[in-house]
Amino acid sequence: MRRILQHITLAILVTASLTVIATSCNNDNCIGNGSAIPLAGFYNGDKQITINSLTVYGIGAPNDSVIINKTSAKSVYLPLRLSTNSCKYVFNYNTEDMPNDTLTLGYDAIPYFQSHECGAMYKFKITSLEHTTHAIDSVLIPEPMITNADVVSIKIYVR
Amino acid sequence: MRRFFYNIICIACMITAVNGYAQDQEQQQRKVTPVKPSTNKVLTPPKGTKEEIIQQYLSGDTAQAKAQERKDSLAKIYPRYPKLTELSLGLNFGDAILMAFGQKYSSFDLSATLNMWNRFQPVLIVGLGRAKDTPDDMNYTYTGKLSPYFKIGANYNFLFKNEPRYQLYAGVRLGFSTFKYDITDVLIDNPYWGEYGQSYQLNGMSSNALWGEFLLGLKVHIASNWSLGWEAKFHGIFKSKKNDKGNPWYIPGYGTQNGKWAFGLSLYYTLPLNKDRWPVKEEKKK
Repeated sequence: MRRILQHITLAILVTASLTVIATSCNNDNCIGNGSAIPLAGFYNGDKQITINSLTVYGIGAPNDSVIINKTSAKSVYLPLRLSTNSCKYVFNYNTEDMPNDTLTLGYDAIPYFQSHECGAMYKFKITSLEHTTHAIDSVLIPEPMITNADVVSIKIYVR
Repeated sequence: MRRFFYNIICIACMITAVNGYAQDQEQQQRKVTPVKPSTNKVLTPPKGTKEEIIQQYLSGDTAQAKAQERKDSLAKIYPRYPKLTELSLGLNFGDAILMAFGQKYSSFDLSATLNMWNRFQPVLIVGLGRAKDTPDDMNYTYTGKLSPYFKIGANYNFLFKNEPRYQLYAGVRLGFSTFKYDITDVLIDNPYWGEYGQSYQLNGMSSNALWGEFLLGLKVHIASNWSLGWEAKFHGIFKSKKNDKGNPWYIPGYGTQNGKWAFGLSLYYTLPLNKDRWPVKEEKKK
């Protein structure tokens, strides 16, 4: 009986140790962002450029909060509203000779379980796009499904 | 002229006769060479030689005797177990222990292993798996509903020369499971737009998976017909059904999607088959 108990104890210890080792070898990190937010990049031709002193904010945001304020930026995250299916953003270039641009995105929010590490979130399918053309020349959305992948999903071509 | 030829033939015959007589004398001399007494000793068979083989030698059937000796010698080096050596029924309970160490999922299965020639072992496994996890600092609860899984495969026992009570084996498995899972208690905050506590549930999602495993195992006799076994498995998914709302985290019988290694602990009950045909173990010489 004592021998059997020794065997069982050893078996438990060996199995637990090996599992701890194996678990530590597995990848437990979230690949990508913790939520799906479209990243807009500024382009001139094929080259990504920096816009100086840029302010971006969403119309209707509480307390008139801004996304970025008078910042030099190559790209900017544009968080989408969950309670509506469209968002309008203002791009203020903070120069007297260039009026503000606006960008309006229409979308469907889709509940989605990304992974154990990244969690549950919404992914967004862009359904419509409108913009003014003061500094913005055109806007391209290469992949209309916005996920948590950390890539530029909205290309804003400026003059 | 005729007389001359006659004389030559007579001389030739005489020479041939004299030469033949000389050779005959020589051969008779070889035959009578005495045998040395030392080479005339009686040979005794080695200890342990079967009486049957000794009788075959004595009766002059040396070919048959040598063949039998070779067969017996090979049987000592490679003990041959019968085609149906054992049937083992196993219960994999490793996850019960690991849950005590904080693992959030578990699989329990019953296995039937047929040991053939104490070498090849076809295996059939049927089990059930489930999962429930609310990870720290995350915004959801994952529930893998109790679902079945099946595995089929085979082992190769490296210790086939020894008794089947102790085995070291390598094996392959092909597994399949079809299962359902829910994502509940989801809470999402969207600070920029002032949206907090947005919630949803994803219920009744389903998927299936086909996977393969390579494993190394050790089986140790503990008492009577009972044995314990460990298995270290390296596995990969061949195919899994994707789901538009999110892919599963846990697959019953496999483990988590991102895990490449798994370990098992099983208790076996073994029924010996054809035991009368098992090789007899020779007692060690004192």
